[in-house]
Amino acid sequence: MSHALLSLACHAYGLAAVFYLVYLVRQWRLLTVAARALVASGLVLHGVALGMDLTQQGGVPQGLGQGLSAVALLLLAIFVGLDLRYRTPVLGAFLTPLALTVLVPGVLISGGASPLSAAVLRPLLPVHITIALLGIAAFAVASGIAVMYLLMERQMKGKKFGLLFARLPSLDFMDDLNRRLVVAGFILLSITLVTGSFLSNHADGVFWQWRPTEVATLIAWLVFGAVLGARMLSGWQGRRVAWVTMAGFGLLLVSLVTSYPQMRMVP
Amino acid sequence: MSAEFFCIGLSHKTAPVGVREKLAVPDEQQVEVLKRLESTGEVMVVSTCNRMELFGASADERAREAVLEAIASLGGAEAVRHVYEHHGDAALVHLFRVAASLDSMVVGEPQILGQVKEAFELAHKTGTVKGELIRACQAAFSSAKRVRAETGVGRAATSMASAAVELAAKVFGQLAQRPVLLVGAGEMSELVARHLLTAGATQIAITNRTQAHAQQLAELVGATTRPWESLAEHLVWADLVVCSVATPQPLFTRAGVGTALKGRKHRPLFMVDLAVPRAVEPTVAQLSNVYSYDVDDIQRVVAENAAARAAEAAKAEVIVTEEVARFLRARAVREGVPVLAQLRQRAEQIVRSEVEKTLTHMGDELSDKQKKSIEAMAHAIVNKLLHQPTAKLRALSTEDDKALAGAAAELFGLPLGETAGEEH
Repeated sequence: MSHALLSLACHAYGLAAVFYLVYLVRQWRLLTVAARALVASGLVLHGVALGMDLTQQGGVPQGLGQGLSAVALLLLAIFVGLDLRYRTPVLGAFLTPLALTVLVPGVLISGGASPLSAAVLRPLLPVHITIALLGIAAFAVASGIAVMYLLMERQMKGKKFGLLFARLPSLDFMDDLNRRLVVAGFILLSITLVTGSFLSNHADGVFWQWRPTEVATLIAWLVFGAVLGARMLSGWQGRRVAWVTMAGFGLLLVSLVTSYPQMRMVP
Repeated sequence: MSAEFFCIGLSHKTAPVGVREKLAVPDEQQVEVLKRLESTGEVMVVSTCNRMELFGASADERAREAVLEAIASLGGAEAVRHVYEHHGDAALVHLFRVAASLDSMVVGEPQILGQVKEAFELAHKTGTVKGELIRACQAAFSSAKRVRAETGVGRAATSMASAAVELAAKVFGQLAQRPVLLVGAGEMSELVARHLLTAGATQIAITNRTQAHAQQLAELVGATTRPWESLAEHLVWADLVVCSVATPQPLFTRAGVGTALKGRKHRPLFMVDLAVPRAVEPTVAQLSNVYSYDVDDIQRVVAENAAARAAEAAKAEVIVTEEVARFLRARAVREGVPVLAQLRQRAEQIVRSEVEKTLTHMGDELSDKQKKSIEAMAHAIVNKLLHQPTAKLRALSTEDDKALAGAAAELFGLPLGETAGEEH
């Protein structure tokens, strides 16, 4: 049942992505209205599917499949929030395809997730996982916007204006959005690290074990911390920040993927 | 004789700013002008920083002289030399074009419609616009709305100044709180300043080798000035720099801009160089977080936009022409020939219903060709019958002889005094 709902949500997102991409070429307002409705209904279906699975599992997301699916859900929720706040449907042309590339592998590998041991099933785990996934989603949106920024910047610098030039928001707007998302993501990431080490301590009696997921998360945390510091102190912004944001997001994906086999290994 | 529309005034197309600024008079003074001209007919004053025009409708031959006198009293004999005039339908077309922003310095800029509306309100409050001008203005406003809704006029920049501002908006988004530095106080700087103001810029500073000129322009556009000597420092302050001063040596070198970038903590800097020879060294464009455009770059943008824009402006002109024609049609019906129009309409109705009746009776017995002949015959009979009355009625609308029109209405059983159902 939940799988059917998820598949339906996938199709809604897919159609929305097509509409948003067509909107880049043909600026028909109706396309954005339809796409927005599709994403919203996709989110509802997706949320119900995820909720059904979670209640069955005692509130804890399991396996990489569900993790990816939750990241996609949160990513699109952030997008809808941004679109409602700033009325920038053009973000959809980048963020819905990004969400799909996260979600589709998630759907394909879902199921077959081994149940977690009772040892880690405690109130802190769902909180840790939810915050981690929300942080990853925030960085995912920041990366999508970084791609847009780089495309726009290249046209601005090269003075060759393509179709996107007229469609994309201003560089300043995208850079500012990046800053806010990275700040939010950084805070979430910090909480993830702290709660994660508590969990590790509870399961294995050690706060820090240098496992790949821990290392990747720590590096990502340092990278984003450095970006924010450089932004505040020496006015780093624009292209460099965009590249680093994408790199940091890549690290977080590594951290996400490596965190699952590890969790199943918990005795 | 019925009232004729006129437009007498001057604008950015005919008068330099020195003349225009003398005519930029406050509301109270405009009211005085309106009252002085009231006796010659309807009148309103449209006064913006780019134009000062008196629109009116009058049957009085003295109206023209009175308006010219009024302009002379405000702006002196110098002003009158720059005056242009439109009379009759041409004045109407001009009113519609002004309201639709087709006559603006920045074609398609949205403020002019509001300014014309304010001018209309002021004249309305003063009581110097009555039937004719009220109807003309209302038609002009709705035609302007149509232009805005149905065309993309004003959407893409067609001048170097507007293209520069448009590009800046692509970097900075809102220009409201962005510090802008205009280097030079010439015509180009004025144009850029106007575009910036339209785009919402609030912090504009002007620097010029001759401080007095900078001061003059600053006052005109509501900007501040900065000393020419400390140009390098301004580069730390400003996010957008527009140069229109030709100098033998570049004003902004790569090294200089590089130093300024450190001072501004690498905040993006957008530089537009409209001067020839160039005031910004070409290599400045290689610095990161600097977007530097020279005349050729900007001109290329303008050329790309121009094609698209020309099509939109042409569409807008068509709309204006249509709307003027519609207004004139309605006016003709309203004014001179209601009886005639009703008579024609009635005849048309009779022909249509009788032909229909006959054709349904005869049904399939007739070929298409025969049906057409019957229709043509019905039209011909009615037209022949009405030819003489039509000609008489048409002639009388200029002779102001309402008695015959009344008789015709009586004879043909038409409701007198109402318009023939045309739009208003």
